[in-house]
Amino acid sequence: MPDTPDLSGALRARLAGFSGFLQANGFGVGGGDSSRVLLVASQVGILHPQMLRWSLKALLCGRPSEWHRFDALFDAYFLPANKKVFVEGARDTTSYRKPSPCESQDSAQVPGLPRRGAGNHRQPPERYAASREESLESADFRELARAEEVRDIEALMRRLARQMKRVRMRREARSLRGRRFDLPGTIRRSIEHGGVPLSVVWRDRRRIRPRIVVLLDVSRSMSQYSFFYLRLARALSAELSDIYGFIFHTRLTAISEALRDADPWRAQEKMHLLAAGWGGGTRIGDCLRDFNRDHMARRVHSRTAVIIVSDGYDTGEPKTLADALRALRRRARRIIWINPISTQPGWSPVSAGMQAALPHIDLLAPGADLATIKRVLPDIIESLR
Amino acid sequence: MSTGAQRVADVAALQQQLAAVGYIAERSFAAGLLLMTELKRPLLLEGDAGVGKTEVAKALAAVRGTRLIRLQCYEGLDAHSAMYEWNYQRQLLAIKLHEQDDRSVAAKEQDIFSERYLLKRPLLEAISCTQSPVLLIDEVDRADEAFEAYLLELLSDFQMSIPELGTVTAVSVPFVVVTSNGTRELSDALRRRCLYQFVEYPSFEKELAILEIRAPEAAGELARQVVQFVQDTRRMDLQKRPGIAETLDWTAALLRLGVTAIGQDATEAIMESLAALIKTRDDRTAFTPEVVGRMAAAC
Repeated sequence: MPDTPDLSGALRARLAGFSGFLQANGFGVGGGDSSRVLLVASQVGILHPQMLRWSLKALLCGRPSEWHRFDALFDAYFLPANKKVFVEGARDTTSYRKPSPCESQDSAQVPGLPRRGAGNHRQPPERYAASREESLESADFRELARAEEVRDIEALMRRLARQMKRVRMRREARSLRGRRFDLPGTIRRSIEHGGVPLSVVWRDRRRIRPRIVVLLDVSRSMSQYSFFYLRLARALSAELSDIYGFIFHTRLTAISEALRDADPWRAQEKMHLLAAGWGGGTRIGDCLRDFNRDHMARRVHSRTAVIIVSDGYDTGEPKTLADALRALRRRARRIIWINPISTQPGWSPVSAGMQAALPHIDLLAPGADLATIKRVLPDIIESLR
Repeated sequence: MSTGAQRVADVAALQQQLAAVGYIAERSFAAGLLLMTELKRPLLLEGDAGVGKTEVAKALAAVRGTRLIRLQCYEGLDAHSAMYEWNYQRQLLAIKLHEQDDRSVAAKEQDIFSERYLLKRPLLEAISCTQSPVLLIDEVDRADEAFEAYLLELLSDFQMSIPELGTVTAVSVPFVVVTSNGTRELSDALRRRCLYQFVEYPSFEKELAILEIRAPEAAGELARQVVQFVQDTRRMDLQKRPGIAETLDWTAALLRLGVTAIGQDATEAIMESLAALIKTRDDRTAFTPEVVGRMAAAC
């Protein structure tokens, strides 16, 4: 294969498909990247695969998790499955066996190959689709639309949403009215009046509206609170646009769409389908880890408040929970943990799950019923600041 | 377009140039750096504190023989202190002085907003150099998102609009190195604009090579033992793992205390010098004389 800028058609297609393959594996690459891959490949040459690997790694990775998974994915995509061992031995050595163009053409014809070839790389989990067969113990979602409580909840959530629109930061920005005089701004404005400061500029604290991600524990121990919180989440979804909901028990399911459905009956139906495993055990740590891997990149940014509603009874490893929360804490603005049972007499956060979580959360709030939520609402607003 | 062999040679040459200015880089890192200088794309470096991210920019500037312009980010950094600012005091003074002369208002204004009253901050300075400088945007994760958005505009077009003067386009495209310690997640848009390198803690061989270049007086056996001890330390469950800077500090401290070899009998000197290596109280409590003695004996 002569190393020329006009790479052969099949090779071009193979290279161009790589960014799509990474995207399918959760990388934050976009449409323009496949042409950049070709540009880099023609710049670097393809005769020395390690050079190609390092260059593409620099080009296509964007965060540590991607960086650490890249090599396995590169092997899986560009090498036939049984040649993996060869690569691992070859770090900076030249004994590396390059994939010949004909091989890459061959493997291009087998679309199923990449995933199998990923070898020791931790596979993305199978997606659990909701199915009627699985929901053996599904909940009775007619509760979701009980009229008398719904009205109260809606009123409260409207208040929360309204207050959240006014969350102010410590940081200041120029504004038309405010609390501090802004000399540079005023001088800047005075220029248009020939140096006479007719309009005065002030500085005031910036306002932001946080994004909210709700992670709701629906395991058996939480069963008497789950509906209440679902109603809360549904009412809040109606008020705010930037809110995402997830339920978890032994695994995690996104429910944003079902929550936002304007038709209460259809929302119930959707929830019903999603509720497989409802009321089972809890693996908080594993679910949070799954959340971090599958949803964090898209759903959590630095203005995000993550609200976890759980009693903290975790059947998994506490260390998994602590690690997942630490990772989440680094990216999210705040983590608020609402524990419905913490108002019970004699309760203290002694369960292994709560112990592991405590160092990483910003606010631990009680919340057994609407009255309690009302009481802690100011704290929650305050901690969003 | 280069052939495979040519490319390998290019990367090896860059590796050697970097070593000549005191920066030890792996082959893969040099390959990424070479690509960055060719594509003129910014390079985003992530990794724990103290793995030598900032040094990359310094080494690159030394290799290319250009200026290093550094922008240290901090919470509350706004576009003005990073890009440009008008010298308000001088402008005010000028307004007062110009009150007497009889030029037109437009002419006066033009004078007040001329480059004489413009204070160039790092970003503007970087794009107005005639020879491509190295622009180091250090710890970008400390700045807030608004600033990140400004940065995006600059990094994609290398031009800046100053309302009073018009658009300033880069005279030469700077080599941009962005570092982040991961205290805040950066926006995907910024990540996508940049080439990426994750800098790991150095391997034993790499750290030894760094120590030999940076602290030649600790040559030979002591250097090997120091690196072994530090590498063992990093494997412990610490809040803050020591970086390369700590290794160098600690080596200097040991030399100052007259330690020539790390072993059971040097435990006391090691305990005294741990302040250079261990930087939090919780971590310090993990280093009892027994632990240190055992680790030293193992070196």
